[in-house]
Amino acid sequence: MTFRRALVLAAVVLAAACGPKEKTVRIAVAVPLTGDMGTEGQGLRRAVELAVEEANAAKRFPYKLEAAPYDDRADPKEAVNVANLVVSDPRVVAVVGHYNSGCATPAAKVYARAPIAMVSPAATNPEVTAQQNSKDWMGPRMVFRVVPTDDVQGSYAATFALKKLGKKRMTILHDKSPYGQGLAEEFKKAFLAGGGKIVSEDGVSVGDKDFKALLTKIRNDPAKPEGVYFGGLYTEAGLLLKQMRELGMKPPFDFISGDGSMTFGLFDVAGDSADGAYLSIVGVPADELPSAKKFVEAYKARFPNDERKPFDHFGYEAANIIMAAIERAGGPDREKVIAELKKTKHEGVLGTTVFDDKGDTTSKIVTMTRAASKKRAFDSVR
Amino acid sequence: MLIQQLVNGLTLGAIYSLIALGYTLVYGILTMINFAHSEVLMLGSFMALGLAVLLPSAFGTGAMGLVGMFVLAMTGAGLINVIIERLAYRPLRHISRLAPLISAIGVSIILQNGVFIWVSTQSLRFPEPVAITQVEVLGATISSLQLVILVSALLLMALLHFFVEHTKLGKAMRACSDDIQTAGLMGINADYIIALTFFVGGALGGAAGVLYGMNYGSIKYNLGFLPGAKAFTAAVLGGIGNIRGAVLGGFILGFLEVLASGYIPNGAQWRDVIAFTVLMIVLLVRPSGLLGEKIAEKV
Repeated sequence: MTFRRALVLAAVVLAAACGPKEKTVRIAVAVPLTGDMGTEGQGLRRAVELAVEEANAAKRFPYKLEAAPYDDRADPKEAVNVANLVVSDPRVVAVVGHYNSGCATPAAKVYARAPIAMVSPAATNPEVTAQQNSKDWMGPRMVFRVVPTDDVQGSYAATFALKKLGKKRMTILHDKSPYGQGLAEEFKKAFLAGGGKIVSEDGVSVGDKDFKALLTKIRNDPAKPEGVYFGGLYTEAGLLLKQMRELGMKPPFDFISGDGSMTFGLFDVAGDSADGAYLSIVGVPADELPSAKKFVEAYKARFPNDERKPFDHFGYEAANIIMAAIERAGGPDREKVIAELKKTKHEGVLGTTVFDDKGDTTSKIVTMTRAASKKRAFDSVR
Repeated sequence: MLIQQLVNGLTLGAIYSLIALGYTLVYGILTMINFAHSEVLMLGSFMALGLAVLLPSAFGTGAMGLVGMFVLAMTGAGLINVIIERLAYRPLRHISRLAPLISAIGVSIILQNGVFIWVSTQSLRFPEPVAITQVEVLGATISSLQLVILVSALLLMALLHFFVEHTKLGKAMRACSDDIQTAGLMGINADYIIALTFFVGGALGGAAGVLYGMNYGSIKYNLGFLPGAKAFTAAVLGGIGNIRGAVLGGFILGFLEVLASGYIPNGAQWRDVIAFTVLMIVLLVRPSGLLGEKIAEKV
């Protein structure tokens, strides 16, 4: 009897605890918060928090808005777990995420079944949005992204290598991930189409540390490659750069890579070996965007001790686009927000954002940068 | 190119060998696999980094930094290994053969997550105590770093050989490895010798941690896993429990990996597959490893 009484008591207490509170609506930020890509995810989290705090301060909504961070550890399996958590929290109205294409692709499938909108601030593999048009897609079209895709980025880098750097023979490396391999393939396609030659192609594993044997093979290749294009993330890129320099492979033997390598962590791994590496980034760096000036200042004021990461302004924009959609939808209704997101025409830090019928931004700008380790900066190359 | 690849293989092999020694020493005496050894390696590299970060003026760079890092990492990692043995293995030693194994996996998880939660979740930059310069030898580019790694690893192996073969404690260790109960009856304090073995194995792991950090320039909470698994394989390949076997196994594995990614077209992504296929074949032919002896079942 006492046990049953205790149960009843517990139920009463629980019910009281869950009683009416101030209504909050959440925007999930599903990104890697720990691990190697954690620095990038933390940056995105801060950017979304900033956007949400600004909206709350301006009393844009009759309820409190909240950024709810979820850690996918840059791991596709974990991303699916996170997506299930997000979907089951009724307060979450939309998702900013994920950072990695390998995570965004499977997580989107979970969000589609809910359905709940996902706006990616960084995943650049075309498949992330393209999968929505496949026959076995379970749910409505609800994936959006504010960054241009790898087909744009890879071909831009190929043209850059051909025209600006005068390369004719390149070798390709990638990390076998959807992002890295996808990017490398787009580079290859465009480089071959432009009359260049791909001397060799190799895959490395994420987490591998020793590339000396592979680099020695490239260095002594009788076909004489003039540079390496790497599709992958900064840890492997940094180790490749460091070991290239140790083997005496310096510019004009160039290292070109994409946005996954373009982050300050590269300097922590490679040190001054990073100098002179060419790294493309989708969009335009926030410091060079007149429309992002206010965001850059607000970020600095809100997080004075944190380095702003290359994707933060995309995260900020993604959150603002979602909030605008909530406003137009007239309330935090998941399905109405999806419908409104499709009609987006947003003026913000990235200029005008409009989504095409795949959910991709119509803005296709890519910028090439060059690493300078002393300043810990990536200078734009035109 | 072959000479260059051999140099690459030697550096890689030297690090694997040092780690493999830690596995083999412990196995030789307790017939137990210390799965926490990879974490001891990781802690060694973090201690070295800590020293360079906390006292940058004295230990940040140069020979002083190099020696300081080795001394701290080796003593620290050795002591940690002794503590692990005392707390997690000794109480279970006589219960069953599987209990200490599970305990070792537990210790490994605890240590890795401890560093993950309390120290850093990300890659940390490892200091460069030696300025990196390149030397051209017979068409191969050898970096000063590779030389330091090779020389210090070989030096440590020579020291270990001397210790085990030519000192009284080494003799006691060998005796315990042969038959721990009889050694005890002959007046050898087995507990003490086991602790000593863990200290020596841990110290080698700590040294390998420093070399690993220097070689790759950055360290992370989970850095021990991959080299740990590979060194363990190297120890098995050479014949686990056999000191020379561990060194041989480490170098063979290093060369296999280098040759696979250096000479087989598109071999980099097949590197581990190729290396482990060869290992499996060797073990099929010689189940007790290259230098391992077939020991009759003790009744």
